[in-house]
Amino acid sequence: MLLASQLLPARLLMAFTLAAHIVLACLGVGLPVLLLLAEGRFLQTGDEGWRVLARRWARAFAVLFAVGAVSGTVLSFELGLLWPGFMERWGAVIGLPFTLEGFAFFVEAIFVGIYLYSWDRLPPRIHWWTGVPIAVSGAASAAFVMLVNAWMQTPQGFDLDAAGKVIDVRPLEAMLTPAAPTMSVHMLIGAYMVTGGLVASVYAFHRLRGRDTAHERRGMALGLLLLLPLAPLQAGVGHLTAEMVAEAQPTKLAAMKGQFVTERHAPLRLGGWPDVEARESRLAIEIPGMLSWMAHGDVNAEVEGLNDVPRDRWPPVVVTYEAFQVMVGLGTLLVVLAAGTAAWLVKRRALPTHRVYLGAVVTAGPMAVLALQAGWVLTEVGRQPWIVQGFMRTTEAVTTAEGTGVALVVAVVVYGVLGAGTTAVLTALARRPLTPAGEGTGGA
Amino acid sequence: MAPETLVLGVLVLAVTLYALLGGADFGAGVWELATGLRAGSKERALSYRAIGPVWEANHVWLIFLLVGLWTAFPPAFAALCRALWLPLFLALAGIVFRGAAYAFRSAAEGREQRQRWEAVFALASTLTPLFLGAAAGALARGDLGLAADGSFDGSTLTGWVSATAVFAGLFAVATCGYLAAVYLVREATLAGEDELAELWRRRALGAGVAMGALSWIGLAVVAFDADRLWAAFRARALPLVVLAGAGGVGSLAALARRRAGLAVAGAGLAVTAVIGGWAVAQHPLLVPPLTIEATKAPDVVLWTMVWFVAGGLVLLVPALGTLFWLFKTAPNRTPSEGR
Repeated sequence: MLLASQLLPARLLMAFTLAAHIVLACLGVGLPVLLLLAEGRFLQTGDEGWRVLARRWARAFAVLFAVGAVSGTVLSFELGLLWPGFMERWGAVIGLPFTLEGFAFFVEAIFVGIYLYSWDRLPPRIHWWTGVPIAVSGAASAAFVMLVNAWMQTPQGFDLDAAGKVIDVRPLEAMLTPAAPTMSVHMLIGAYMVTGGLVASVYAFHRLRGRDTAHERRGMALGLLLLLPLAPLQAGVGHLTAEMVAEAQPTKLAAMKGQFVTERHAPLRLGGWPDVEARESRLAIEIPGMLSWMAHGDVNAEVEGLNDVPRDRWPPVVVTYEAFQVMVGLGTLLVVLAAGTAAWLVKRRALPTHRVYLGAVVTAGPMAVLALQAGWVLTEVGRQPWIVQGFMRTTEAVTTAEGTGVALVVAVVVYGVLGAGTTAVLTALARRPLTPAGEGTGGA
Repeated sequence: MAPETLVLGVLVLAVTLYALLGGADFGAGVWELATGLRAGSKERALSYRAIGPVWEANHVWLIFLLVGLWTAFPPAFAALCRALWLPLFLALAGIVFRGAAYAFRSAAEGREQRQRWEAVFALASTLTPLFLGAAAGALARGDLGLAADGSFDGSTLTGWVSATAVFAGLFAVATCGYLAAVYLVREATLAGEDELAELWRRRALGAGVAMGALSWIGLAVVAFDADRLWAAFRARALPLVVLAGAGGVGSLAALARRRAGLAVAGAGLAVTAVIGGWAVAQHPLLVPPLTIEATKAPDVVLWTMVWFVAGGLVLLVPALGTLFWLFKTAPNRTPSEGR
């Protein structure tokens, strides 16, 4: 089929550019919060060290925001260039939350300009307040975009005519879908965790390499403040999300839990892999009844298995299952780190300084990123073969224009350059010596 | 008033603001390329300082345009993406490199690195308006290889390598350069940089004259290459053509008399009138042969968009106003950016 030839490169290209953008978007949502915390601490204590921290982070933020805006623009174009079938039929429905996201991003971009360029022009308190809209609109932006993806997972709020064309839309219903609340909160918390984790990791790394002054300690502490308290909360939100998936996307749940047989007292599976040919899970540690309980609140509840779903509606089971295992596994490790840190703090009233602990913190950022990526793989691969669950398959949405394979190669090369460039720029910024108030503004 | 007309008005406004604000940003890069990347450091500093606080915000209009189009006229958006994917892809490449170059340049270590990114910035800033302009020209001319049901039966090059489209691309680049020059006269004057103000004034005068000549050439190209467009132009768009001419001439006169603010107003009027003329001539076709009527979304979506935009503007206008007041008005012109 001609369509099929573009499907795989188109999906890979979309996945690749999304995976790159999501990290930048997380930082765009989370860094403003860290900036406000650091600058706020300066205003409270008068300690210049906090201000130096804030100004350095602002320089990094300027670069990351610019690159993130670019990667976001790519996605906007890709929606139309790669998925014209999807946009043609559903553009009017998903466009409304995107319009809101556009305004939120616009406000964010404006205040980023104001914040970065007026360190020395506005009174310190007023300058701090110009950072607040950045944090608020960043979070709002993320939430609005999530409304779109949530709608793709649990579509509602529209009427179709006999030919399948959208003839009526109920905007509120289309934006407040069953998946919307849990997915939005799960993503937002994830964004803060990624930001806190990466920042903490960078400073822990510096400290292990011998740069261990008050500056690095402050930086690491603030990063951990954003990461660790949220880890157990995220686990809770994750559980609520899984309950929603059990209700609204039972096939996805079955795939991600390796559940082939429809049964009561369904077990929770840890590890191993699902053998799709044989239709059974292998080498998993099974906790009896746990899946029924987690999905439906009752150990004897029935969990639908893949065997009762037509084969052509199965998502890629192995990818979905393993992505879920990675996400939960890494998330659990972060909860352990949080618990251990909390226990230490209660007794010693200061963060641990052991090299082992610092080493653990160095891994925390990448773990948070990997968990986030795994979650996205789970949710997007898990909804296949649908692009709009129950209404449109991904194959129907993809472009027929030749050249998506070339575009994929180009994108990988270009993003490679972008990634290398961004890393080089941030490294160079980090190497600059600390100066008191004379630190340059965040101008980019 | 029909909601689709309101939404269309919003989209035309978005195109206009993108041209007036983002266009000047591109123009700064166009001049760098045009002057062979040999600009003096003071000159370059002024340009980058002018763009600095506003360039992120200035380029959101494009996203807004895309979102607005796909929300209000989804089949037209899909058809556009099918027919003109290559110029859109190339414009996107320009946007990516431009954004990255701008961000990397400011943190570059050493002259050689900085110059490399400045070169990338200059080239990318020229390519994006070139390809976006070509896409716009192709849209205006029609003959995109699209059927009435939106299916595409052309080649990768259909429509946008026509004389009209190629000219439109070059015209877009020239417009960006023209706007940048006029704005920079004002920026330099406000900053008290008299030498730079003189330099940009001379360039703006030259660009203004060139724009006049290009406009006449453009009308000729359209007359010979784009029958439908020419007919629509003659029937409906003449007043706007005259207005554009008046704006352009007025801008030149203001420059000659060193009235920088008036020059900006005149240039802005000229560009607005050109875009208005295009919109008026294009009506009722959106992505030829698809019409506004045939591709519009359900009324409820259109009205919701209108309300969202109205609400959003309540938030946006004061915010944008604050940004421009802080960085583009006389009493606040103390450059505070460090490196």
